[in-house]
This record gives sequence, structure tokens and C-alpha cells, in this order.
Amino acid sequence: MAAIDKRHKETIGKIKLIMKDICKDVLSEKKMPSLDITKIGYDNTVWSEEKRMLTIGTKTVHISPDTTKKIPTFSQYIVMSNAVRKLLDEEMESTIRGMYYATLSTVGDEGNKQKFWTSQDASDDAIKAVELLTGVPREEFSVTSKPKGMISGPILLRVGGDIIDCNLGSRATSQLIPTNIMDVEIVDVKADFVMVVEKDTVLNNIRKSGFIQKYNAILMTGSGEPDRATRMMVKTLNEVWKKPVVVFADADPWGLGIALRYKIGSESLSYDSDRLVTPDAKVLGMMFSDIYDYNIPEVARLAASEEDLNRAVDMKKKQWLKDKKWQKELSLFLKNKEKCELDAFFKHGFRYLAETYLPQKLRESGIL
Amino acid sequence: MKSKNVIEIASSRIAQEGSSSVVQTKSKTKINFSRKAESEFFVDNSALAGFTGERILYMAIRELIENSLDSCETDRILPKIAVSLKLIDPLNDLWSISCEDNGIGIRSDKVSIAVCSFLTSGKYVEQQQRGLFGVGLKMIAAFSTKDTDHPLRVWSKSTEEASEYYFELRTDIGTNKPIVLTRRDVKPKESILRGNSGFRIEAVLRGRLSPITKNKIYDYISQTSIVNPYAVISFFTDDGKITFDRRTTIMPEPAKEVLPHPADMDLKTLKKAIGNYALQKTTIQGILCNSFQKLSSDKAREIIRNAGIEVKQADKYSEHELIKIVNICRQTKFQSPNVDHLSPIGERIFTVGMNTERAIFTRKDGIISDDHSQPRISTKEMKPTLTGYSSRACIINNRPTIVECGLAYGGNLSYFKLYRFANKIPLLYDEGSDVAREVISEVELNKMGVSKKQVKEQFTGLDSRSDRAIDLLPIHIFFHICSTKIPYKTAGKESIASEGELKKYMKACLSDLYRKVSKQIRREMHLKDAENRLKLYKYYIPLIVNAISESIDISAEDLTNSFLTLVDKHVKREATNPRTSNTKVENPKAPKQNHHVQGPHKDSRTKETSLVAKSSKSLKLKHVRSTQEKIENFMASEELD
Repeated sequence: MAAIDKRHKETIGKIKLIMKDICKDVLSEKKMPSLDITKIGYDNTVWSEEKRMLTIGTKTVHISPDTTKKIPTFSQYIVMSNAVRKLLDEEMESTIRGMYYATLSTVGDEGNKQKFWTSQDASDDAIKAVELLTGVPREEFSVTSKPKGMISGPILLRVGGDIIDCNLGSRATSQLIPTNIMDVEIVDVKADFVMVVEKDTVLNNIRKSGFIQKYNAILMTGSGEPDRATRMMVKTLNEVWKKPVVVFADADPWGLGIALRYKIGSESLSYDSDRLVTPDAKVLGMMFSDIYDYNIPEVARLAASEEDLNRAVDMKKKQWLKDKKWQKELSLFLKNKEKCELDAFFKHGFRYLAETYLPQKLRESGIL
Repeated sequence: MKSKNVIEIASSRIAQEGSSSVVQTKSKTKINFSRKAESEFFVDNSALAGFTGERILYMAIRELIENSLDSCETDRILPKIAVSLKLIDPLNDLWSISCEDNGIGIRSDKVSIAVCSFLTSGKYVEQQQRGLFGVGLKMIAAFSTKDTDHPLRVWSKSTEEASEYYFELRTDIGTNKPIVLTRRDVKPKESILRGNSGFRIEAVLRGRLSPITKNKIYDYISQTSIVNPYAVISFFTDDGKITFDRRTTIMPEPAKEVLPHPADMDLKTLKKAIGNYALQKTTIQGILCNSFQKLSSDKAREIIRNAGIEVKQADKYSEHELIKIVNICRQTKFQSPNVDHLSPIGERIFTVGMNTERAIFTRKDGIISDDHSQPRISTKEMKPTLTGYSSRACIINNRPTIVECGLAYGGNLSYFKLYRFANKIPLLYDEGSDVAREVISEVELNKMGVSKKQVKEQFTGLDSRSDRAIDLLPIHIFFHICSTKIPYKTAGKESIASEGELKKYMKACLSDLYRKVSKQIRREMHLKDAENRLKLYKYYIPLIVNAISESIDISAEDLTNSFLTLVDKHVKREATNPRTSNTKVENPKAPKQNHHVQGPHKDSRTKETSLVAKSSKSLKLKHVRSTQEKIENFMASEELD
């Protein structure tokens, strides 16, 4: 706890320094203050061959209250910085939604009132900006999101002072992955490997089948787009606990995108890839070829949308999908224009996914 | 009256015999062809002249003002017009309407027919005029006679006679003849008309005035004043008095009568031309070149040769021969008609008009008080920050036409408004079907150098009522079409049709104008942006300062003052030097060159929006400076820690 307190103090110090710089600009140098922030997004994301992940580029944006558009943005960043400082001073923690409420206000006078935040998205962006300005990830300043990642299997966590055993004998439930990751410590891992699936519904089906016990595996899901806690947990299990990680997602460009979040990272979080990405994770399925290899009946296949196809065309050009296997898979998709969800295996019976498809895939890749 | 009786007898006979067999009726009924007096015809078909139900009072005001302006302009008299509209008998909807001008007046021997007899008018010539049918005054007289027992009271002092006459008149609707109840010379000391000449009419009309029509009357008067800034127009109502003063003494060149263009010739025009020369023994060649423009003697000979008719005295030709001339003329190419006989408003006058636009506002207090000392109407000056003008001459339907287009921007204008004028008359109804509306939506805004996106970003305020970018701009666009024959869409003369190439020329005119004002508009938008930005700073700086002063130990007041001074300077610099606004100007010396290139207008505006009032600024600056050291010390000490 003492270590955490020290880090909090450092963060507070960093925020105060930013404020002081602004005061210096305004009071003594008489110039428009400016916040230099690393640019986030696709145009400042670069693929690092060496790290095998998406990393942040060198572009920065200057947020200065010098144009109509940037006046609110600048104010939002400063107000959010102050709110984070307050949160740390009070030794409290908050969700990103909590921060939105804490800083909610209106601007303008009677007759022309506007909301300070147009939506929570704007406040989330401001939190991100504080992370970039301070170089401290938000988990470290106690701002978290609502947990949505889930974990099941022979792993022991300590959250604060409480021990949580995720090896739930009943097969009836999974554990939410806490988002206040700074307070979470992995005590022991008895599993042989980690299997990440795209959706919680699929995870529930697999857990219920007794897969965990049979193969001594940890099951995890980010319930769609994974949050940072889930990604960090996967990375720690792979790199600290040396457990192989496999990922299964739906056979569509969207699902593949989610699987790749674990393996190579994402454009919106590329500044934090070093803490979030697991380059050694293996994306094993569901392959587009599996639709045909496992005879998914036509009725369970879905027609690809225009958006899907465009995305696939884009993906095909990406450096990280240059190897022959992926190129073949994407070509197949573009040719047949069909996609498929993991749930489609239920058409072959409720146990087919957990007892036939997954073990076969794991055996093929040498995990089992 | 006789003719009417015949019709009545005829119809009653039909009624009597209605029961007998159809065949019988047919064989026995005789249709009586009767003649109707012009006055009766117009009263029965009042819609032809626009006098319908709700619009009677509006039309009456309109016709009287138009007559007055025409009367002044023919002799280049600076118009001074006083109009009044007052309710005298609410129970019977009786209104007293009057109009007085300082125009050329009407000769005493013509007054009665000019006021009462339909189709007797000085307007039946090929000349640009406000009124066209010359029936306005007659309609008022006929309606007054029809609906009330009040006579029309008329005072006239014509330029020819220079003495004032007083008349009390009514119209004999059945015969289209005036009934003169009183006619007397007005002694100089009892004179009502102050100027050297003039005309005053008072009539009582029955009519209703809905709030909508009332506003149309106000619009009519304020818009008339825009294109006639050289006129004094006063309007007296039960809601109060409004006066539009004279803002210029320049008057447009009066319109001249013009010979018809031969391409537009028909049998009627040709026969009329021949008739005009009936007493002189002239050849057809002479008549052609004297009666039509752009027709030289040679050209006339050529036409006659092409028509293949023998040469004889002009009045000896048969219609069969004459139509050959008409046909040849329609096939021959002539020079474009002259435009110099038209009377456009002109750039100078138009600009004065646009710059001094005033809108009439009605106070909305719900409670109708009898207290007439408090006027319920007032005017507001629009004071646009910039205006522009462009014009084009063109030929529409063989008639020379001048398109004038004006634009006013900024100031008190709040949103887009289209003004349409035809021969200096405001058109107020049917805007949606007017060609001007199409022109506006078809000319791209980016000709003005501003993008739709920009407009939407800057002007989408609380009351964004429209998706169309132009509707969001604080802009007034004016179109004036003048011609000897305006291509009206309907008999009501309220909207202009997209006849011939009119639309093309209007579009060209508007595009010219957009380009012309482009630079200024962009500048205005920058200023507006600066204004918006200062507002934003006012809202946001307290938030910023509050956040900072909560986090670190610093005087909120000092920081606020410094910040305000800083942004004020920043915005001013950008407003005067918009080009560099997007690129970072770190060097404060650079933009100073442009600092003084500010019109007096702009200067006052920046002053208005300035957050720190000039007087107190220097004081505050000093204050800031003294605290500055304190702050620097603070910073240094923190760093040591």
C-alpha cells in the first residue's frame, strides 16, 4: 500500500506541474498555454516488427485554448486533471462514469447554456488525455471502468486483502475480472494454458461442459471488446506465469479484430501497448475455413455485410496479417462472403463446441 | 342600369319556363348580349386587381403609395408621402384611409375621371411603371361607393395649374362615370397641400384587418422605403405613427416612354401605329421606322420587300397584307432593345436603402389598452455591417429587363430573408413560387468563399430552424426586376415567373454579388467567430482557473485577469489578421502591421466584444505585473522543494 501511495503522490505532483506550466505561460510569459499530447488514433499508430505489436507514433497534438473548437477541450482536460488530483488526494477510487458525474456542469449564461460534457465519451477522452499528459495509466490513479471481463479456472487472485479462488467447482459461475488492477495480485496459477473466447455466452457453455477440469485450462473472456484489466491479466498470465494463451473469436472480420486486440493491440490504445498486448497469444479460431471444414450448415451461416467486406479488404493489407495462412483465410471470406459465430456449433449439439471443435483445434496447434 | 334589367328579365323567363320541356326551352330562349360598364366589371371581378376579401385594405394602401411615388418621380420631385389607416367604426368595419403626396397632382378637369373612371389612366404607355392597369384608385372609389355612403374627398394641386381644388366624388358603378358632389377652389389660406403641387385623397372603406394582413402592410411600407430611400414616408395607424425619413436626395432617372420593339410586333401594334399617322400621308416604311425602335429606314425597306407587298399609302393596306409585315418582322433579327428608358434603382440608392433598412415591430403585450399615448409599433434599424450590389441587363420576351441584386450582412440582421421587388414595388406574397427562391437555392454558397460546414458550425445556434446553410446566415438578399412588362406568374402580381432566360441572368447576378462580397463576408465571419470565441472564453476561463487554483496555490483573481488580457489580445490579433490564425503565430511582432487596417465600423465592434474594458485594462495590467513577481517567487520556491 505504501508503494501505491507513493505512486499516487507522484501522479499528483505531475498534475500540479502541468498546472504550474500553464500559470507560467499565462502570468509571466504572456502566451497561450498549450498542452502537448501524444496523438491517439490510426494515424499515429505504427506496427513494430520487433515488438510484434501496434505502438504509438511520434505525432503530438497541441491543445491550446486558441481556437473556438479547442477552448472547451482545453478546459475539459484541465478540469479532469483537477478531478483526478482530488480523487487521489481523497484516496478514493472511481469508475470513468463516476469521473463524468464528478465533473458534470454547465457552461454559459442564461439563455445560452451548454453542457460541459456533450456525453461520457468526451469525459472518457479527457481521462485518456490525463493519462497521456502524466504518463500514468488510469488504473494507477484509481479510475476504472465497470468490470466486464470474466475468468474461470484454477487461478488464485488476491484483491486488496481478499483471496479469490476462480476454480469454481460448481461450474455454475465465473469471476468478474476486477478493473482496479493495481489492487489485484495473482497468487497462484495451476492451469496448463489460458483460453480466451470472444463472448461470455460461449464461455458459459464451455465452462458448463467441464472443459476446465478436463483440460486444466483457464477460461477468459472480455465480453466483446476487452477492457484493459482483461488484456493485462492475459499478458501477465502469458509473460509472468509462462502459460500459453489461445484465442477463439467468431469467424468474421469483427471477431478477428477482437482476437487481435489481445495479440497485437489496438489503434486507440496503442500508447499503452507495452502493458496490454500479448504478442505470443495464438489466434486459433474460428477460421473462415472452419465453416466448411466443420460443415456448419448453411442455415447457421450469415451473409457478410458491405462493412465486413471492406474491413476484410483493409485487414488483408495489414503487415501483421501478411502470413500465408491469414491471407488465405481472408481471401476465402472475400470469395464466399459468409461469416459464422462460434455459437453456430450448437447446431451440431450443445457439447460439440467444447468437446469436439475446441479440443481438435488445440491438438492441431500442439497445446494439448 | 338598362342592360342589367334585360339580363334580369331574361333569367326570370328561364325560371318561369323551367318546368316546360327541354326542347321547348331551347327553341324559345334568346340570349341577350349586353354590355357591362367597366366599373361594374371590375367591382364584380375585383380579384383581377388584387382586391380580395382580407387584402382590400392592404391593396388600397399599396395602390395609393405606388400612385404617389409615380406621381413624384415623373417630375423628379423628392417624394413626401403621408399615409393613414384608422378604424372609424369598429361595429361596421369601417376604415378611414388617406394618402397625401407632393407629386405633380392631377389637373382639375381630369380629377374626377382619374379617380372614378376605370380604364382611363396615364399609365397606358410602354413605360416602366409601378402600377400597370391604373385601376387602383378607381377600385378604392368604387368600393367606397359600394360599401359606404361617404364620398371620396380629394385635394389636388397640379403642377400645371398651381392652385388647389377640392372635390367630393362618388363613382356611378353602372356607367363608369364619376359623380361630382362638390368641386371648389381652395383659397390659399385654407390650403391643405403645402408644396408647390400635390394630391390628397381620403376614403372610407369597409374591410377587416387580420394581424397577418396588418403585418403585410407594415412590411410593404418598410420594404418600399428600402428601395425608395429618397422618399419620406409617414404612416399613421391606431397603433402609433411611423416615419421613414429621407436618407438620400439622389433620385433614379425617371423611366421614359419607349417605342415597341419590332420583334414583338403584332397586327394590333402595327394598326395602332398606322392609325397614329392617319392624318399625314405617310408610307408604311416611314411608319415602321418612326413607330418601332431599332428599325432603320433601310431595314424597313428590306422588310417591305421581303413581305412582297406593293408600295402604297399606309392606310390603304389590308389586314392580309399587314400580317405579312408582322410575320416578316417576327423572323427578322433586330438589335437588342434599349435599356436606357428603364429606371433601375441603381447602386448608390440601393446601397443607401439597404444600409438604412428598418423593420417595424409590434409590441406584443396581449392587453389591449385604450391608452394611445403609448405607441404599439416601433422600428428597429438593421445596420448591416456590409452591403453589396450587382446588376445585369437582359432581354426577356423581347422586353429589356434589368436585374438588380443586393445583399446585406450582419449587424442586427438575425437570419436569412429574401426581398423581391418588381418595378420598385415590394412583392410580399407567394415567395415560395417566385423565381428568386429558385435562384437562391441554385447558386452555391461557396461562391461567397464560405462552406456550408463553416456556416453551420458558426451559426447553428439555439434556433436552428433550417438545414439549409443560407437560412442560418444573418443575410438579406434583395432582387429587383425592372421592365416595361414584368413576367408575373399570376394576375395577383405577387410572384415572378421563370420566364425565358430571366433565371439565368438572376443567377449570374447573384453569383457576381457573392464573389464581390466574398472577402468581406469571410472577414465578417472571422469577426463573428472572434466574438463567439470571446464568449467562450468568458464561460470557460472561470472553469480553468477554478480547476488550477484548487490544485495549486495561486491567486485565482490574478490568473483570471491575466488570462482575460491574454485572450483578448489573442482574439483581436486574429480578427485583424485571420490568415495566420490557423498557423501558430509565436512572434507577436508579425501581425502588428495589419493592426491598424481597421475600418471605424470594425473598431467599434471589437471594442464592444472586448472582455476587458479599455479604461480598466491598463489598471489591471499594472496589478498583474505587481503580482507577477510574487508568482515567480512562488514557482521558484516550489521547484526547490
